[in-house]
Amino acid sequence: MVLSVDEVTLEFAGLRALSGVSFAVEQGSLTALVGPNGAGKTSLLNCMGGFYTPTRGRVTFEGAAISELPPHRVAAAGVARIFQFVELFRHMTVLDNILLGRHRHMRAGVLAGSLFWGVSRREETRERRRAEEVIEFLELERSRKEPVASLPFGVQKLVGVGRALAMEPRLLLLDEPSTGMNREEKENLARFLLRIKHELGTTMLWIEHDMELVGDLAERVVVLDFGQKIAEGPPDTVLRDPRVAEAYLGRAWDAQKGAPS
Amino acid sequence: MAALGGGYFKTSYEADLALVDTRLRRVALGALVVALLVLPRFASGFVLDLVSQAAFAAIGALALNVLTGLAGQISLGHAGFLAAGAFTTAALVERGLVSPLVTLPATALVGGVLGLVVGMPSLRLKGLYLALGTLAMHHVVLYAAGEMQARAGGNTGFTIPPPRLGGLVFRGTVAWYYALVVLAALVLLLVVNLQRSRAGRAWMAIRDRDVAAASVGIDVARYKLSAFVWSSVVTALAGALFAYHRGFVSVEAFGFFVAVEYIAMIIIGGLGSALGAVLGAAFVTLLPYVIDALVAGVSPDAAQYYVFPAKFGAFGLLMALFLLFEPLGLVGIWRRVRNWFALWPFRHRPLRASS
Repeated sequence: MVLSVDEVTLEFAGLRALSGVSFAVEQGSLTALVGPNGAGKTSLLNCMGGFYTPTRGRVTFEGAAISELPPHRVAAAGVARIFQFVELFRHMTVLDNILLGRHRHMRAGVLAGSLFWGVSRREETRERRRAEEVIEFLELERSRKEPVASLPFGVQKLVGVGRALAMEPRLLLLDEPSTGMNREEKENLARFLLRIKHELGTTMLWIEHDMELVGDLAERVVVLDFGQKIAEGPPDTVLRDPRVAEAYLGRAWDAQKGAPS
Repeated sequence: MAALGGGYFKTSYEADLALVDTRLRRVALGALVVALLVLPRFASGFVLDLVSQAAFAAIGALALNVLTGLAGQISLGHAGFLAAGAFTTAALVERGLVSPLVTLPATALVGGVLGLVVGMPSLRLKGLYLALGTLAMHHVVLYAAGEMQARAGGNTGFTIPPPRLGGLVFRGTVAWYYALVVLAALVLLLVVNLQRSRAGRAWMAIRDRDVAAASVGIDVARYKLSAFVWSSVVTALAGALFAYHRGFVSVEAFGFFVAVEYIAMIIIGGLGSALGAVLGAAFVTLLPYVIDALVAGVSPDAAQYYVFPAKFGAFGLLMALFLLFEPLGLVGIWRRVRNWFALWPFRHRPLRASS
């Protein structure tokens, strides 16, 4: 198991966001993390990304406890994150955004950069080539030098994917990549997710609300409700689980009416 | 690369990274260099001094632009950094260490340490709170400088002899004109280089979205501090230049209004743009002279009474107007003019322009 979440509990001054969540993710798999709003999905991702530190428990990736590292060290450990609300560098071009994904593969500091000499010049051309590969993979050629803020939302989301892929992560955390996408954009997204899985072999943990996407793409599903894991397994069985339906939709009217008597 | 071709198509990533990438730009840059080189042959001392002042201001504005425009850290302490540089030089000269080979590295060191200290609060504070922190530094530095000035024997300031290297004495309008223009060009080159490389991109990423910057592996604290240090080293060195150029250092030259002037330069020029910082520096430097001329033209007698209020008023008004109507600053106007000529006689950009 390449990623394991062990008994993660997260509390904010009396409010318990996660209580004792444990599961593991297999190398190269696409695992979906689902649950109703406020179930703690994004909080759990934040525990992995270094933004929150769990009150108890830990998250280990390839044997390293990433739940105790600051965000930039988590990135250095080979974990990339795609945010729910894109979180791109809005005033910069698509190319610059993707080159920023290459940051941790580059070395030049402030001095070398000021002079644009030696290592700085060499790595700018070398990494530009890598960035172009990502641009080609995601078919972003037309927007290469456009400022990100001027692009349609669906394209911005792809730039977010590109920035994460450019990091060459071994674990990709996706936080609702399909929100705000139309049918066609979702189909594109699905195609890219499958290509990332099959061509790059990247392990993915994926928060998603679109159950059709989850049912078709995910190999495993983990369901959270009120900060607790309520189900885990292959999508066919998990999505039919009555407890999952209850978490999402509430109890059926008849059952509820019948319950007290 | 294409030897016979017009150089229109770029055939390598190296060529795409070049700063001066088209023939027209090469010709324009060459013309500008020649014009600046031969200017002393034609222009009066007054004009040369104006250009020198603008070039000096450009160095300071470029340094502030790195901190505020690229890294997004608001600073009201720019005059404080300048003062720290000027007074470090003055203190060393006072003790007989007059060689620039001593004063300049020492000034850079003091600037760097001061930048590091002032940058510390930026790890916790943002926006207006950080601005207040830098304002506090401004007052601390000016207080220290004032004390130093008072201890030196109730003088109004320190006299700095012209810099001297071996038997060579550096003085005169023309020499300073060349020195300041060359140094401003050098700092401009450094800043443009930063913008197209890893460190500058990391700064811009922090400016745009610090959380996302951390998630791509940027050590936000380290880069914030390095932006402060870069900016403060260059600004302190500019302060040393100021001391040598004017030959006189006094606290009065580094009031809070100077910090506001530098912020005005980068806002009027276009925040985040290196060219904008240079244009803004020239604009803000020349503005008082234009107002002088206008006021004197309207009423020569009243000029002495109205020049100061007119200057302050025009300043505030211009900053407000730029923020309201041209947030991209002078560089935004310049880009529009350029696009208009590039497209002439057509009026509109194509819907999807390939930049």
